[in-house]
Order: sequence, then structure tokens, then C-alpha cells
Amino acid sequence: MLEQLALLGTEGEPLAPSGPIWSADGADPAAPDLADLRGQPYLRYALEVAAAGGHSVLIVGPPGAGKSLAARRLPSIMPPLSRSEAMEVLRIASVCGRSPGPDTPTRPFRAPHHTISTAGLVGGGSPPRPGEVTLSHRGVLFLDELGEFSREALEALRQPLEEGRVTIVRARHAIELPCRFMLVAASNPCPCGRGEESGECDCQPASTRRYRAKLSGALADRIDIAISVERPSAEDMGAAPTSDSASVRDRVIAARQRQERRLGAGRCNADMNLAELRSSCGMDEKAAAMLANGHARLRLSGRGHDRVLRLSRTIADLEGCERVSSDHVARALTLRRRGPD
Amino acid sequence: MSDERARTWALRRGEPGYPPALLDLGTDVPGRLFGCGNRTLVGGLELGHTVTIVGSRRPSSYGLRVAEDLGRLLAAAGLVVVSGMARGIDAAAHRGALAGAGVTLAVLGSGADVVYPASERRLYRDILSSGAVISEAPPGQRPEPGAFPKRNRIMAALGAITVVVEAAQPSGSLITARQALKLQREVGAVPGPVTSRVSEGTNDLIADGAAPIRGAQDVLDRLLGVGIEAIRRCGPPLEPELAGVAEAIELGSRTCDAVAAASGMVADGVAVALARLELLGYVQSDPAGCYSRTTLIPPES
Ligand SMILES: [Zn+2]
Repeated sequence: MLEQLALLGTEGEPLAPSGPIWSADGADPAAPDLADLRGQPYLRYALEVAAAGGHSVLIVGPPGAGKSLAARRLPSIMPPLSRSEAMEVLRIASVCGRSPGPDTPTRPFRAPHHTISTAGLVGGGSPPRPGEVTLSHRGVLFLDELGEFSREALEALRQPLEEGRVTIVRARHAIELPCRFMLVAASNPCPCGRGEESGECDCQPASTRRYRAKLSGALADRIDIAISVERPSAEDMGAAPTSDSASVRDRVIAARQRQERRLGAGRCNADMNLAELRSSCGMDEKAAAMLANGHARLRLSGRGHDRVLRLSRTIADLEGCERVSSDHVARALTLRRRGPD
Repeated sequence: MSDERARTWALRRGEPGYPPALLDLGTDVPGRLFGCGNRTLVGGLELGHTVTIVGSRRPSSYGLRVAEDLGRLLAAAGLVVVSGMARGIDAAAHRGALAGAGVTLAVLGSGADVVYPASERRLYRDILSSGAVISEAPPGQRPEPGAFPKRNRIMAALGAITVVVEAAQPSGSLITARQALKLQREVGAVPGPVTSRVSEGTNDLIADGAAPIRGAQDVLDRLLGVGIEAIRRCGPPLEPELAGVAEAIELGSRTCDAVAAASGMVADGVAVALARLELLGYVQSDPAGCYSRTTLIPPES
């Protein structure tokens, strides 16, 4: 794959990058730290589970609720790049005509604007350029205002998300670029952005419902976690910082190591296939009963059911448990992205 | 979307699960009902907790809005919203009910597995996700003109009250209203401009003594007594911790973090409590993971 990437760089004009290659550095004391998130313990928990299992996340809330603040801190709680991952990130940087400098690369964080073209997002154009999905390889791709991205651009994300690589078709041949990234999507709660509960929202209920339906439909099958957030209260803002990125990252690393022992190097729960999902989610009786209950009462679809299993497995891994318990399933039910599949 | 037909089941008269409200149809009781979707909903229908909403296939925007609001608010109050899935008012009432996180029941003139009108395929699927579609016609039966008046009597019998939102004179919705009266069910109508053709039928109904329905509360007043805003059913007992979380949500905490702040619980504890409350039916969550209380009340301890 990377040979092809290198080939791309020799094809003529240098590939112009559209911004800095990496903007978050977990090892750098000046980098954004999870401790900056005051209050919002559940948002931090959701990020921890996301990082532990490689699950993509949708965060819904009004402006000022800390959506982008949180997303930017995700790389800091992901495990440091392995040697081979670091090499991949370096290769992509050099293909883009960027010299990464003497430092070891860290996980990229990319936040393209919603007006980005499809080619800008997934790659392509003439001359061909790697898209944001490739620039965020091994890092985080943050799509703020998910509902504002064009339908075409969101559809084009499907293959990259599923396969971890993207095919760019050119006149004479196709090239493949790597793009294993974690997706964090964010959205306002309604078209005006203030949210029904603010008391200042003047959206028609029907248009808010349409807006939310589009959201929950977008990339639905690839997003495992959805959470609603509100602006932190004054009390929260004044609260003492809680756990910092380093301590969360230690738990994430331990959870990822468990996954790699089960699934193989470089793999995580988010990309388990069905057979792996079935064989790895040993449950006790109460957990199975809770999941069956969820199936009936919460109208989980087949995909929704698998999503809960995947998340339960990650939560159990975070807690160092072999078997999935009913509490793990319950947490997964609350974290899961709801809606159509 | 798969074009595969939904699975149908049958309910025979006299069998457990056959809706008792239909027995009021006397000599005209359907011998068999076919249905798709939530079968227990049909068997558990309690007269007094159902509202039939019908109206024009070519409504005004006023009518559509009223129908959707009625469907949504009445479903949220715990009523089962019954309608005929026709274009216009019927579809709006179903849509409203689904938006109110309620359950809704469609009575078709075609077979329960035949989506009619075909343009409402999506609505059909949404109805099946929580509610049910029933019909007297056997599975696979295409819609025939004669089937609709017969279908209307089933809608009239299932609703404790039949509300006509907009109807021209004459129209199928008025037939449903007449059948409801014959069954000694309540009939209500939404008043409209006297210059509007689709309000002729409804204004006439009101002039003839039907209850004027100005909004969901008028329906609830008729069915449950004045001032009652929702059917409050008693749920299973709650441990103190869960009761505290349910109360926090009742008081307006909508997100998991708001619940954490209100209850002082840690994040993963909140997540467990919310899932358990949702499974017990005390809270519901929307697609974005925002929580609200249902109408279920904890038993007195
Ligand atoms: Zn708004």
C-alpha cells in the first residue's frame, strides 16, 4: 500500500497538503490534555471507551458544549504510534511534500471544514492528492457540523471507513492510499444550533426532527457511540481538573493490548468481524438476559445488537475482564449510537 | 431497502390477543384479523387509551399541522394512535405519534403486508418498528375500493374517541365518524375556517354535537377527565439510586453529564443506571442520546 503511496509522490507535481500534518502531540506537555475538560465526566468516559476500542463517535450539543475541545483531545489518550505506524505517518507526510522535522510523529488530528470537496476529503483531483482521510491515517478525523457536509462527501467516506484504504481512480490506473483513522463527528442539536431545551430555539419541531434524522442516518453503520452534551455549568468550569490524558491513556493501552492478544497486532474491537464478535464476547447469564431485554424493549436492530456487543467487549477490556457482565452491557446500551442502520 | 414482505400473523375472533373493542361491532365483528409488527400491542389495546385520528387525503397545511401535533402529543401522553395510513391527515397523525416516541396502529384496506399507498413505504416501516399494521383482508390482497368503508368501521371501533381533523362533505372520514357514533364512541372534530372546503365536514360535525377539539388536551379531557395530562401507568419498583436518577431526569436533566451532576454519580454508574431505567420503561432516549421521562410512575413504597 505504502509503495503505491510513494509512487504517487513521484508522479510529477508535489502533492500539496492543505494544512499541518499533525496538530496534536500526546508527548508534548503543551499539547491539549483531557484535564482541560472541566466537569463532563461522561463525555470523558465516552472518549475513553472510543479510544480503547477504536470506535467512532458522534457528539451532539450546542456551540460551547466542548465538542471540538473534546475531539482535539482524543489523540492524547490513544496509544503512542508503534514504529511501523510512525513510519506510515512519515511516508504520508513526505509524499505530501512535508518534512516532518526531527521529532517522532504523533497521531494526526484533522478537522476539515464542511465545505470541503469530496476529492479533498477522500483524495483525488488532478493532480491527485491524498484526501483528509489519508492525512488523518492512524489519527483522528474530526467532522464538525456533520449535517452540513454534502451527502456525496459523506457517502464517499463509506469505503475508507470500512476498509481502512481508499481507491483513487485515475485515467490509466487506480491507486490505493491507506486511511485508518478514528472518526469523531459533531453536530448541533437542531438547525438553529441552540437546542430545544435552551428555550431560545425557534426551529419548527418537524425541521428539528428532519435534521436529527439526517444526522443519525449519516454514516450510521460506522459510528458506534453517540452522546449528547450541554454547555458545562459555571460550577463545572471552576471545578478542579480531574484525570489527565496520561492516566486515561494507560488504561487505553492496557485495553488495546488485550484486543491485540485476541485479534492480532494492530487490530481493535471496532473492526472485529462477525465471527470474532461472536467468539470473543463471552457473557454471563445476566448479561445475556440484559441484551435480550434490550433487543425487545429498545428495538435493537441486528446491527444495533452487534454494536452493543462490540462496545460491551471494549468496556470489559477497559476493566480487564475476560467475560462481559451485565454492567458492561448496560454501559454499552447507553453509549451506543441509536437509530437507523 | 428490502422489498421483502413483512411477516404476517393472524388473530381469530375468540382467541386470546383479539382486540376486545372490536366485539362491539356485533354482527359485523371481523372473524379474522391479519397483522404485521407488534402483536402484543394489538392484544393489549385498552379502550379508553386509544384515539382514532382520521381526515382528508388532501388536507390544508393547517390540517396537517394539527394532525401531526395531535398524534405526537397524544402518543406522548400514552395513548395509542389509530389511523388508516392514507396520504394526508392519516399519515400525519401516524408520523406525529412516532415523533412523540409513542406507538401507533394502522388499519389498512389492503392486506397488512401490502403497503398502500406505496408512497408511504417508509412510514409503513417506521410504524412496524414499534407499532403494528392490521387488516381484515388476507395477506397479499391488493386494495379494492369496497374495502375502505369496511376498514373504517374497525378504526371507529378501536378508538375510544374518533377525531376528524379535516373532511370535505361527503367523505370517508365522516363515515368513520358516523360508525363511531353508532358504536357509542366519542366523536370529536377540529374546527376550521368556514370558507375552507376541507373543514365543511368537521364544522358540520361540531354543529351536530361532536366535541370541538382545539388540541390534544381536549382529547385527554374527554378520555381521562379534565386536567389529566397523561396516562400514568405504574411501573416496577425502583431501588433508591435508580429512583434518584429517574427524578433527576423528571426535573430536566437530559444528558448523561447532567444526570451525573445532579446525582453525584460517576460516569459509568450513570450509564448503567440509565440503561436499566430505559429497559424498565421509566426513561427514553432520542437518537442523539438525550433522555426524557416516560409517563410510567414508580409504585408507592
Ligand atoms: Zn433550534
